[in-house]
Amino acid sequence: MKSASVPTVFIVDDDRGMRQAIHDLVESVGLRAESFATGEEFLGTRQIGRPSCLVLDVRLPQMSGLDFQRRLTETGMQIPIIFVTAHGDIPMSVRALKSGAVEFLTKPFRDQDLLDAIQQALERDGVAQKEQAEIHDVQGRYRALTVREQEVMTLVVSGMLNKQIASEIGAKEATVKVHRGNVMRKMQAASVADLVRMADKLKLSPRK
Amino acid sequence: MANEDVQKTLSELSRELQESNARLKEAQRVAHVGHWEWDLETDVVVWSDETYRIFGLSPQERPMDLATVRAMVHPEDREPLYRGVDENLVAGVRPDAEFRIVCPSGEVRTVYSLTSERWNSLPGDAKRDASGRPYKLFGTIQDITERKRAEEALRQSQFYLSEGQRLAHMGSWASNDLGIRWSDDMGLYWSEEVYKIYGLDPQSGPPTLKEYLDTIHPDDRASMARTIRVMHQQRCSSDVTKRIVRPDGEVRYVRCVGVPVFEGGVFKAFHGTTMDVTEHELLTQELRRESAYLTEAQSLTHTGSWACNLLTSEILHSSDENARLYGFDPSQGAIPFDRFYSAILREDEVVLRPKLENAIREGADYDVEFRIRRTDGAIRFLRGIGHHNPSQEIGEYVGITMDITERKQAEQEREKLRQLEADLAHINRVNMMGELAAALAHEIRQPIAASITSANACLRWLARVPPDLERARAAAARIEEDGNRAADVINRLRSFYKKGSPPEPGIVDLKDIIREMTALLRKEAVQHSIKIHSELDEDMPNVLADRVQLQQVFMNLMLNAIEAMKDTGGKLTISSQRSPEGQLVVSIGDTGVGLPAENTEQIFDAFHTTKPQGTGMGLAITRSIVEAHGGRVWATANQEKGATFHFTLAVKSEAEA
Repeated sequence: MKSASVPTVFIVDDDRGMRQAIHDLVESVGLRAESFATGEEFLGTRQIGRPSCLVLDVRLPQMSGLDFQRRLTETGMQIPIIFVTAHGDIPMSVRALKSGAVEFLTKPFRDQDLLDAIQQALERDGVAQKEQAEIHDVQGRYRALTVREQEVMTLVVSGMLNKQIASEIGAKEATVKVHRGNVMRKMQAASVADLVRMADKLKLSPRK
Repeated sequence: MANEDVQKTLSELSRELQESNARLKEAQRVAHVGHWEWDLETDVVVWSDETYRIFGLSPQERPMDLATVRAMVHPEDREPLYRGVDENLVAGVRPDAEFRIVCPSGEVRTVYSLTSERWNSLPGDAKRDASGRPYKLFGTIQDITERKRAEEALRQSQFYLSEGQRLAHMGSWASNDLGIRWSDDMGLYWSEEVYKIYGLDPQSGPPTLKEYLDTIHPDDRASMARTIRVMHQQRCSSDVTKRIVRPDGEVRYVRCVGVPVFEGGVFKAFHGTTMDVTEHELLTQELRRESAYLTEAQSLTHTGSWACNLLTSEILHSSDENARLYGFDPSQGAIPFDRFYSAILREDEVVLRPKLENAIREGADYDVEFRIRRTDGAIRFLRGIGHHNPSQEIGEYVGITMDITERKQAEQEREKLRQLEADLAHINRVNMMGELAAALAHEIRQPIAASITSANACLRWLARVPPDLERARAAAARIEEDGNRAADVINRLRSFYKKGSPPEPGIVDLKDIIREMTALLRKEAVQHSIKIHSELDEDMPNVLADRVQLQQVFMNLMLNAIEAMKDTGGKLTISSQRSPEGQLVVSIGDTGVGLPAENTEQIFDAFHTTKPQGTGMGLAITRSIVEAHGGRVWATANQEKGATFHFTLAVKSEAEA
């Protein structure tokens, strides 16, 4: 695993000349570049955990860039995408941007436009990476809770009082208090509001 | 006084006698009758003045004796005359006689001599000799030459009439009345020819009504009986043709014309003629049949016949079909020339008129086409062929008019189709150019975009401190590469734009064309998950062909294959091999929907298409190009799925290669 601090620009374009040119441009501004002729090759080498972005040709031999974008989303791979195309049209660019693309550039493009888009994408990915790391943390702590504590946490973030929780789970109020204290400690929550934010990240559905 | 009276009486008597004599002479002169006295004892003959004139002599020119008279009798009649007279005198019979005389002028006259009724009772003059012969005879002589001539002429004309009737198979008849009872006689008189026509015996006289009707053909008998009854009752004329059956069984057509004859308003009789018209009738029937066939033929072929004088606008003949061509009802009677002529469309008439005028002036035949507006409003194409009748007047033509609308429409339809085909071939080509342009634009855009990006990178490497010359050089090398790539595409594009120039056969390397087409269609193929695969003969020979047209053939067949697989994906295979005849066979196969179950050959026809957006021209154009190169194109179904299109090309011979 390489250092998370070196951002990487992935390039997928079936046109060798274009692929090499973008690769070289990216490296000329001191970024790391990795280029692939097909989407499949890219999927085989994708490594999570550092700021990165994808420069993707809309027309690819096996599947279109848009289909590839959908497939990435479906498999949970979140990476900012910059589309480049020799045939762009407006409906296609709208669809791409709606699906979360950072930019949609028509070949030939100004180098600064591409570099700006890459910068923006890397920043977005940095934030996302940070967010992802936090979620990862919270998930680790949540998994450390006992089943009973997880149950109590769900009820707490729903806004229930100890007494209500006790009657809900069929335990004494005092017992609930102990569980609750454990949850707050194990989750490293400073307050109930803090715990609610964590539950949000965990996508826990509060009890009605 | 008495003497005076006697004198007076005598002179009166003498005058009266003279007057009486003068009247007699005058009467004899007017009637050409003379008288004579013959003293049988002395043979002295006394003639009246008129008798002399009848004999061509002047009265009292010379005294007559029997020998003189005898000499004047026509030699042929002389002996019979005198022998007859002698015999009659002896027998006590009046010796009247007709004989010819020869006048001194040589003229022959026929005379009739009458002996007085009372010749043998005249007192004194009637003395007889011992043999009972009278001593003196008195008689008249009449010149009957004119009458004889008239009789002869009548006999002649009767002969001619009967001969004429015989020759014309025509008889005449007369009937007081036609009779209405079976037993009534059919006539007063039947000429011999009528009997002959009916095959009856003239000796038995005209038949009865029943006998007559029995001679009529059973099919015509009732109507003939009716005709006779009507004639009888209404005293009217009739003209009928009916069949009769002669006693020997022969059937003849007979025409009978009968008219009533009136005198002073009173009906006298029917007169009529009877004609054997069998030959005429058979001919008429034949003509009628022929005419019916002709009419039918004209109707079937929409051909009308006519004869007219174009100069005087007089129509001499116009067949029914001729009228129908113009929408006229032929049963409405003759149609004037102007009605025909004014049906011609104005714009065609302007062209037609000088042609006709020229033909009339030169007495030439003509063959023209023009349009008319029929009475029902329909526009029809007609063709008129006129043949000048040289023996006739100026402007007189016989000819036919034909309705050629269907033929014309078919011609126009064909012409329209041909035009459409040409248009579509052009459109197909234009469309293809559009597609090519789009494909090529993409092809060009890629290297240009790449070289711009490489240039940007190059500049950035140079802008570094210190500049990274190695990376900059690499970027510049890529710029060159991409620039060449773009130039290649443009060169390829140029070869497609030689539109409109005539085919230029040249030596063509098919591998080149296949490579180009594969490059052009690769994107299209990839989009539909189609792999393009070629299995080319390693030492594939060059061919002599028009490069652009061959590109079109490959383009059409490959697009066709892609089209067949676009919903399913598949594999497009281009292969080549040598045929036993030494031709090059190129095959383009797909794994698509395959060929239609039947009429595989039809897919090459223009406008035959199975695709919603297809023009149906692709394969038709392909075939025409291949055939223009002396090859052929066909399709076969693949064993598993899809179809393969094959075409042949003549190989450039080794010597020329």
